[in-house]
Amino acid sequence: MRTANINLHEIFDEIPRERREAARLSFAISDRLDALMKERGLNRSQLAHALGKRPNEVTRWLSGEHNFTISTLAMLSAFFDQPMIMVC
Amino acid sequence: MSEVELLLVTGSDSCTMYTIQFLADDKSEFEKFISKFRRDAELNRDFQAIMSFVERILSNGALERYFRREGKMSDSVVALPVLKSKLRLYCLRLTDKILVLGNGGVKTSRTYQEDDTLRGYVMDLQKFERLLRQEARSGNVEITEKEIITDKTFDI
Repeated sequence: MRTANINLHEIFDEIPRERREAARLSFAISDRLDALMKERGLNRSQLAHALGKRPNEVTRWLSGEHNFTISTLAMLSAFFDQPMIMVC
Repeated sequence: MSEVELLLVTGSDSCTMYTIQFLADDKSEFEKFISKFRRDAELNRDFQAIMSFVERILSNGALERYFRREGKMSDSVVALPVLKSKLRLYCLRLTDKILVLGNGGVKTSRTYQEDDTLRGYVMDLQKFERLLRQEARSGNVEITEKEIITDKTFDI
């Protein structure tokens, strides 16, 4: 199979550092949320219902693209009784 | 009918990324997307957002929740980003570890079906997937958890 003439890493390096870091963080938080949901055996609808949110809001949280607010992180931490993020 | 080739873009432990190229063209579909928007003053920010997600997917895997479902229920066509954006990149998510990057563009209509260009990009991926799976059933293509093994071209 041939290789495409695309240097992805060159393109990634053109993205401002803070945007790459923002993506890394938002994906990490979404993965953390997914793991906590699995631990509790919750699907999106169930989590949404428990939090008084709509299922498509949970879909956005899980997408990796969502820009979480402190209050949303606090709500989720309180719900799961586990930290969503650790600040060192 | 147009002849199409599958090309390797890049791979990691978590994901192998491919694209398709029409043999009549000098660029693959993903190269065309990059060429259109990489230096576009108005859409460069949206382009970089999508590429930052591609970077995360390469690292984490092509997990279903990272994508917006497009196409039909019976196919694997997805799009980036999930959230609202002027720009959309269409892909085929075959497994958590195999992603075929297609073309994309500015979404000005409510659905992609209402836009001839975007609909064309989706249809190309749908036709390609149909043929890929047909050839996999015939044993001419091997699709593992993380790779598509073939040197065939496909008539779509």
